[in-house]
Amino acid sequence: MKKKNKQITSVAVKPTAADRGFNIFVDIFMVFILIVIVLPLWSTLTLSFRPDTFIGTYTEGMFLPPWEWSFAAYESLLGNDGFLIAFWNSIKILVEGVVCALILTIPLAYGLSVRNLRGKKFITIFVLVPYIFNVGIIPVYLLIAKLGLTNHLESVFLPVAISTYNCIIMRSFFEGIPNELRESASIDGCNELQILIRIILPLSKAIIMTIGLYYGVAFWNDYFRPMLYLTRDYLRPLPILLRNILLAAGMNEFVEARAFGNAPVEAIKAASVFLSAIPMVIAYPFIQKYFTKGTLLGSVKG
Amino acid sequence: MKTRTTLIILLALLTAISPVFAGGSKEAKADDGLTHIEMWYNATQTEVGPLPNDWVGYDILRDMGIELDASSLPSSTTDQDMKVQAAAAANELPDFFVANREVWVRLANNGMLADVTDLYELMPERTAIMFDQDAINFTTIDGRSYGFATPSIITMNEGLVIRKDWLDNLGLEVPTTLDELFDVMYAFTYNDPDGNGRNDTWGYGAFIEETIYESYPGRRFEPLMGAFGVDGTWDMSKDSFGLQIHKPEFYDYMVFMKKIIDAGVIDPNWMAYKKDDFRAAWKQGKFGIMREQNAALHAQNNYAPFDANFPEGEWIVIEPPYGPTGLRSVGPAVRGLRIWCISADAADAGKAEKICELFEWMAHDEGYFLCGWGQEGINYVLDENGIPVSTEGDIGFEGPIGQTYIQLRSMAFNYTSETELLSRYPVYTCENSGKEMSALWTLRDMQSKTWTPANGMDSMPIPGNDLKTYYQQGLAEFFTGARELTPENWQAFIDQLDKLGATAWEQEGYDYAVANSYLV
Amino acid sequence: MDGKNLRDKNYWGKLKKDVARQKWIYMLIVLPLVYYFIFKYIPLWNAQIAFRNFKSVRYGITTSPWVGMENFYEFVTSHYFWSLIRNTLMYSVGKIIVSLPLSIILAIAIYECRHGALRKVVQTLAYLPHFLSWVIMYGILLSLFAPGDGIINDLIKFFGGQPIDFLTNAKAFPWLVIFSDAWKEMGWSAIIFIAALMGIDVSLFEAAMVEGANSWQRVKYITFPAIKPVIVTVLLLKIGTIFEAGFNQIFMLYSPAVYSVGDIIDTWVYRQGLLEGQFGLATAAGLFKGLIGMLLLFLSNYLSKKYTESSLF
Repeated sequence: MKKKNKQITSVAVKPTAADRGFNIFVDIFMVFILIVIVLPLWSTLTLSFRPDTFIGTYTEGMFLPPWEWSFAAYESLLGNDGFLIAFWNSIKILVEGVVCALILTIPLAYGLSVRNLRGKKFITIFVLVPYIFNVGIIPVYLLIAKLGLTNHLESVFLPVAISTYNCIIMRSFFEGIPNELRESASIDGCNELQILIRIILPLSKAIIMTIGLYYGVAFWNDYFRPMLYLTRDYLRPLPILLRNILLAAGMNEFVEARAFGNAPVEAIKAASVFLSAIPMVIAYPFIQKYFTKGTLLGSVKG
Repeated sequence: MKTRTTLIILLALLTAISPVFAGGSKEAKADDGLTHIEMWYNATQTEVGPLPNDWVGYDILRDMGIELDASSLPSSTTDQDMKVQAAAAANELPDFFVANREVWVRLANNGMLADVTDLYELMPERTAIMFDQDAINFTTIDGRSYGFATPSIITMNEGLVIRKDWLDNLGLEVPTTLDELFDVMYAFTYNDPDGNGRNDTWGYGAFIEETIYESYPGRRFEPLMGAFGVDGTWDMSKDSFGLQIHKPEFYDYMVFMKKIIDAGVIDPNWMAYKKDDFRAAWKQGKFGIMREQNAALHAQNNYAPFDANFPEGEWIVIEPPYGPTGLRSVGPAVRGLRIWCISADAADAGKAEKICELFEWMAHDEGYFLCGWGQEGINYVLDENGIPVSTEGDIGFEGPIGQTYIQLRSMAFNYTSETELLSRYPVYTCENSGKEMSALWTLRDMQSKTWTPANGMDSMPIPGNDLKTYYQQGLAEFFTGARELTPENWQAFIDQLDKLGATAWEQEGYDYAVANSYLV
Repeated sequence: MDGKNLRDKNYWGKLKKDVARQKWIYMLIVLPLVYYFIFKYIPLWNAQIAFRNFKSVRYGITTSPWVGMENFYEFVTSHYFWSLIRNTLMYSVGKIIVSLPLSIILAIAIYECRHGALRKVVQTLAYLPHFLSWVIMYGILLSLFAPGDGIINDLIKFFGGQPIDFLTNAKAFPWLVIFSDAWKEMGWSAIIFIAALMGIDVSLFEAAMVEGANSWQRVKYITFPAIKPVIVTVLLLKIGTIFEAGFNQIFMLYSPAVYSVGDIIDTWVYRQGLLEGQFGLATAAGLFKGLIGMLLLFLSNYLSKKYTESSLF
């Protein structure tokens, strides 16, 4: 299927001058983006490998040969109990949170995408109002405290388990699925629940994965909620620790103590950023697998 | 088939919301006859990991009838303020916690804190060490005390320091007046003091670091302000009390600042640096004069990179320069107190006495050493003078695991005892240059310099937000040149400042200072 | 009388029939709606602290004294009110104008790129800067733009120019904020458009080629219209939260020297409301932002319905 599509777009007709111009424009833009993106990534990566003995400017650090790199920052972070505990807490929040968020978001997005649903406009506005009125952290805190959720990892994702933004985006994808598909299924005797499971979900893998990623990353990076709602040291997720590493170095009265062995502070900061991004970096290629062109076409014909 | 799918879906939905219900089961507080104390403290090293569950202190406290539940606060002070105040709003304050004075004032006025006036006598040992009349005044409102003010820093632990090797390279003397200081800055900038053939150094280095008593541009510039007698936010003397910014000398200070900025003799990154950038910069040899803290400068870990980069380099502590009227000062010397509070809820639950027992235990012998250094023979050993020395390896109190056992150190330390100082700042030999050093020598040196006595300045009223914003923004714009520094513009700035409430703020400060007899 | 009754009857009858026909949908959305009630509407109810002199739950929410619009008044009469509004809008609108088109172009470029390797590499790397927190980004920006030794200023000096203090210069700062945001978030926001592009029926391209359309025309008539509904949705949602200008970024980048162009509502609220424990004030500012956001959303939704035929409700 995929191969055939490629043929269609590339070989069928002889490219004109305009086509060639287009391709060159696309290539130049892509290369430009690549440079712009790789630059900060590379400078942060080399910063994380910077040895304690390094003298020189930031720019010179970017061209430090690999054989002079030091892994001290990674070693001391991975050997640090605080880091491992925080990592594990973050994983728990991530998995529980994404499952919970998708189970709540998908039905709502689907319901709102159904044409002629009675009360649809009312429900949409009902959903949008709290999104627009962002009353800030304290009114939510009062609720969390009332529910006794403080010092539970769930408090990090429950207040945002449905993000209206994500839900509305997902809805607009569901709306893009041809109505004929639903109708023919309906004629075949499927109820709406079966339509959702048998027809909509298989066609929407890309968007479900994308929204799942959006949720996952939001939970993974969240700082304010855990800072306020989680007090026990053993419940701290990664962003709290990360912030302590990034901002606190030198805020302590005990500036003579060093938490992380021999690595320079800047290397620890950079390495902690990379280590904390790992689960997301691993997840993305899997998600990309569902990004195949013309998903809909196949389903309509098949 | 149909019903089964439905059931599965419903089940999945239920599991999704189950955490909400599971959440209700707050750790069952067993009726074990112990007093449960929830405590929020300032960790010694937040990023190193929590106080381990097998800390022997927990068992000792259980024998005393206390079940301690200790959690560390986030390490940035703004996050701490935010967390404590939000918890107060939701009535989720712990039984015993530490707070900044600004936060404390609001909590006390909102009725969230217990009256501790009569509890001092339960802690004779700690009271003798820490709670003198000034410390009690610090937490007193209308004659009642609402918290225990404990020291949180070593006083006067900063100083104006200069690169001795650069002075020698250029054949210059230690500057004693502001004019000489400017000449040295100039030479450090343009005469290649490190002899590397590149124009890559500056005279003065700094960054913005504000406190209640060190207004914008803050602490790192106090020695320059001191030369004009306008260091610190307030003038606390009886006959000339007021905001420093209202004094005519403040304008002279601004002129001097403008002079060093325009001459390009201050590291131009000073407005953009954060603390870490600043500290990385002097280790790279970017500038030769600054105000720095003793341990950040000369403790072994912090000095090592500089020692590696510049084996010949040497920072010496100097007296701040004399200004035009013969004044000089490193800056205002305050006590640096933080406040331990008992929440009103904890007092209502009858926990106050046990909390005092806990606090007292940490102030002497057993608890003091356990919190400050860990277990003898495991985390530390005593040397011939009775000074705790870290054991070798990870478990020593300076090692990555050992550090977790001394997370409560700030509750125990009083920051001035010889034992603490000698243990914190041992003499060491530099790896590269082979020099013998100790941050304690530097500390003694810094404390011997000229400081402005400023008792109580760190508890003075704080300005409203718009006023503070205007204050900072105005000065910053004079520095960047967005506003031209002329007497007329300055007067216009001061007038607007007064309109936004500076006069009222000054009056409030006067009343407070008189009421607490802080004027000297 | 009778006629009305009949109409009512018809109405209720039809409603009943509709609801019965769609009962599965209602069953699906009832749980999310309950969720909304608990986790979104109860906080909205708690937001009444904006009208009260609220100290702590210890002394009750509904029992704390009523102060009317005092908190709103304090916000609106702040010396900086108009400058806060102006700065906030400058950043949120600026980001929409710069970042949104860039991420759409990036998504289309990734979709159209013929070099498999290049496409894969860009697609895999583009979203990564999103993970660099603003603390780290500040370090990178400092290394690029620092007046003393930043790379850009080294270049300027090399060509004989005067170094520019980008980070503390009121003229340069807004550009720095808007473009550093585009730099960091472009790839991340592109993901949603890439997902949308995946739904395009590729047989349309085939037909277009047969009719002799070139690549530019293909993008114009097929690719772009196909993702237009998603773009409109994103745009409308962003207009609703026009007063959210990126607190984390600006809080990290700004300093008193650029307060005049850098201070936004959220940073002001953070300093004045949250750090000083004035939660009523912070909530009032949130409600104020929401009120205007709501008006703008209704307006733009109406316009969008009229001109693009896609709308939120």
